[in-house]
Amino acid sequence: MELIRILASRLKALFGGRRLDAELDDEVRAHIAMAVEENVARGMSAEEARTAALRAFGGVTQVKEQYRTRRGVPLLEQAWRDVRFGVRQLRRAPGFTATAILTLALGIGAVTSVYSVVDTVLLKPIAFRDPGRLVVMREAEEETEAGTRVMPDNYRHFMRLMGDTKTLEGAAIFDANGASVSLGSDHPRIVGAVTASPSFFRVLGVQPILGRDFVDSDANEGAARVVLLSYEGWQSFFQGDPRVVGRTLMNGGQPATVIGVLPAGVRFPDISIAPSLVTQSSLGAREDVIFEALRPNKFDLSADNSNFNYRAIARLKPDVTLARAQGELEGLQNAYSQSAHLPIRLGARLTPLNADVTSGISGALWLMFAAVGGVLLIACVNLANLQLVRAVTAERETAVRAALGASKSQLVMARLAESLIVAIAGGVGGVAFAVAGIRIFVAIAPGNIPRLNEVRLSLPVLLFAMALSVAAAIVFGILPALRSIGVQPQRALQRNSSRTASARDGGGTRSLLVGAQVACTVVLLIVTSLVLRSFSHLLHQERGFDTSHLTLAQVDLFSPQYGDNSLKVEATKQAFVDRTLTALGQLPGVQQVAISSAMPMTGETWIDELSRPDHPIPEAQKPMVNVRFVSEDYLKTMQIPLLAGRNFADSDRANPRVALISEGTARAGFNGENPVGRKLESIIPDGQQPVTVIGVVADTRINGLKNTALMVYVPYWAFAPWTPLILVRSTQASDALIPEMRKTIWNIDPTVAIPELKSMDEQVDESVATDRFQTVVLTSFGGAALLLALLGVYGVMAYSVSLRQQEFGIRIALGSGKAALIKLVLVQAATPVLLGAGVGLAAALLAVRWVQSLLFQTPVLDPVSIGGSLLVLLAAATLAATIPARRASSVDPMQTLRME
Amino acid sequence: MGENKPDVLQGTLDLMVLKTLESMGPLHGYGIARRIEQVSGNALRLNQGTIYPALLRLEQRGWIKAEWGTSESNRRAKFYSLSRPGRKQIEKETENWERVAATMARFLAPSN
Repeated sequence: MELIRILASRLKALFGGRRLDAELDDEVRAHIAMAVEENVARGMSAEEARTAALRAFGGVTQVKEQYRTRRGVPLLEQAWRDVRFGVRQLRRAPGFTATAILTLALGIGAVTSVYSVVDTVLLKPIAFRDPGRLVVMREAEEETEAGTRVMPDNYRHFMRLMGDTKTLEGAAIFDANGASVSLGSDHPRIVGAVTASPSFFRVLGVQPILGRDFVDSDANEGAARVVLLSYEGWQSFFQGDPRVVGRTLMNGGQPATVIGVLPAGVRFPDISIAPSLVTQSSLGAREDVIFEALRPNKFDLSADNSNFNYRAIARLKPDVTLARAQGELEGLQNAYSQSAHLPIRLGARLTPLNADVTSGISGALWLMFAAVGGVLLIACVNLANLQLVRAVTAERETAVRAALGASKSQLVMARLAESLIVAIAGGVGGVAFAVAGIRIFVAIAPGNIPRLNEVRLSLPVLLFAMALSVAAAIVFGILPALRSIGVQPQRALQRNSSRTASARDGGGTRSLLVGAQVACTVVLLIVTSLVLRSFSHLLHQERGFDTSHLTLAQVDLFSPQYGDNSLKVEATKQAFVDRTLTALGQLPGVQQVAISSAMPMTGETWIDELSRPDHPIPEAQKPMVNVRFVSEDYLKTMQIPLLAGRNFADSDRANPRVALISEGTARAGFNGENPVGRKLESIIPDGQQPVTVIGVVADTRINGLKNTALMVYVPYWAFAPWTPLILVRSTQASDALIPEMRKTIWNIDPTVAIPELKSMDEQVDESVATDRFQTVVLTSFGGAALLLALLGVYGVMAYSVSLRQQEFGIRIALGSGKAALIKLVLVQAATPVLLGAGVGLAAALLAVRWVQSLLFQTPVLDPVSIGGSLLVLLAAATLAATIPARRASSVDPMQTLRME
Repeated sequence: MGENKPDVLQGTLDLMVLKTLESMGPLHGYGIARRIEQVSGNALRLNQGTIYPALLRLEQRGWIKAEWGTSESNRRAKFYSLSRPGRKQIEKETENWERVAATMARFLAPSN
């Protein structure tokens, strides 16, 4: 309280200084006048009276000064003087100032922007009610040999678990897919579709902003078809019409009534159907989503041993741990497997929702965060070094000021002010970099990073990064100042002739810091080059098919005429494919046209177990193969070589139970025997009869560049897909071909949707977006680290050379050659650099094990990456040391000797 | 000067000022300085000017109040008077001072 009053009165004084000075003058004048009066009354002459009064008062000026000091905030006034002095000093050393501010800004900006992304994507809970209790629930098949296989959920198992569980508060089973939606008059669009049990939103804790949530009766057989819309879907289909509830839209050609709209931003995160499957985002990127109530079909209700088709989400009861719930479900599943005499032993797997959603990307983001932390560390070290160099330069000045009577605290304050100016400027720059960095990050990030739209600047980490670097700036700014205070001004002034200066003056500390910086840089460079090598391997991998001049169109036949499994519908689908192939084949420039049943580069899809009627394979060893329904020109269009047997031919149309298998499938299923002529079981959806292998084709990386896929190809005459992928090889560029393809397809049937139409190159490109992103970001961090290290080595060597200029002059005068001098400087630089590189190499060998999982066909001890990184670093360090070394060798001896 | 007078002890000036204001009522700086000199029997070496930083210090602490008024010789002067916390402070300072004085006295007493 008292302190506040004093402060208030002092602050008031700070701003009303002139008026208060006048008041004091008045008061002192009155004092003297009264004293004179009294003295005169006692009989002194006017002259004597005045002299006596002034003597009694003491020094008027001293009193006023003392009074002012007492009155104002001297610290503040002093601080302002220090700041102005600091700015002047910094302007006289623009090189130091710019480097220090840039170093700070880079460090703060980089770490803040990356952490902001990590924070949103990985750490911040998803915006559902009490998200910590939400878990993803999958089933597991507990095998004896290959370990446990995690699988999607079976409807019957799910319903039974719901009846028995005591640890779950609620759960919902659902499937996420695409749906073809229109308002009836337009071409349909493919939007995300979640078909979920009615409890879905209750489990998530989301309430519609318009209309109502699902009720259990919505899932009853024969109930009216109803949908809920995502906020974005409401905007795009109904332009945000507030009376949307009750309106109708066409979903797959069938009318459905809108019953509600969800709040903005509620987008169900993309849960992969099984954690082992690499699936490219299908739903995650989509904002327009419709939600339907899941109505179990006959198969859902009866199948016990198959039909693992669903995803499930559950909410734990409060105070129930994940492990306890997992244990309970596991037990229930085991008991059921026994009592129902299932051929497999069922288990259960729960994962926290947040972890599940980010599992695919978290490794890369954490690596990035570690890298950026390394950059921040290097930045701080660099800053410390710059400050040390700066302090030594300023030492003589400090000595002069001390000799002129500056107090110790004033000297330290001056250095502090200078450091603070640098720190604040760097901090401001850092905020600017952070904001820009986040923009860039969001712009170049691949679409499969979830929740990118929510990324905001993270204030706590901004403050943390600023605090850290500001502390580094200040500590290393003040430490040398404290030390130089201990030096007698006289000695410091005498040492002005800097011949011997580099021996002391913290040369050891600076070398240590350079070494530390080099060590950090080596680690970052090695990780960066490993990731670069890995990405290059990925791009230059033999793919097994030719991507150039290929254009893709994915067509969705979600219309009633293609609606169910009846034979008539099968004929309609095939007719559509036939007409499309013919029509596209007639476009100018088109060389080949083919279809397949799945989009390339989207991971494993339509996976089936390979079974052979002639040779039963144990359940656990059955290879999982990707089944594709293709046209006869598929191999020619993709340019996949046929290795044995024959391709499909028109003659197979009458009896389409034939198959081509890939080399890998042949190896896995036939153990080196000739597969041609052998039979495979239950590959075709409706077919109980086996198909005959007629040929073997080369392996391809059609599902993703990282792996070759086990494939089985069957002609579409046996089963035409609902989402045929049309492949066109043409001499025309994709850009020109795309509008023509769209026109041609909609000429054949205007009610189909065409969600994808692009070149194969684009598709391949997008599939490696995550890897490219990771590579680009890490490379830029590696580059930044290298740059900082370069600056660090250069700064220290340049400074040391400038200190020893006279020494070099004398050496030259005594006959030392240029080469010898350059060598002298380089050797001096080499010690910390080589030591740092050694330490860095050792640290890198420990660190790289951690990035192994992110690398593709690149061993962590890749000699090219490690050797290359070291070479680049040493080259950079040599370059950084050579410039000062040359300067040392070109010292004019006459000039330096004259300077003595 | 050359006279053999002790300096005003550090910290005692404040108490002298407060005590003066207590006994004399509102007074200007010159009056306070003169009063201190008189009470000490002119035995202290006091630069009258040093009274002003002391007055400011006491005012900042809220122990005294200041306002402009007119002196007995019809001169504009700043008058200082005790505030309520100032009165309490006198008790506290007096106690302190007596303790110090007593301690000193014990040190200075002839040992027996």
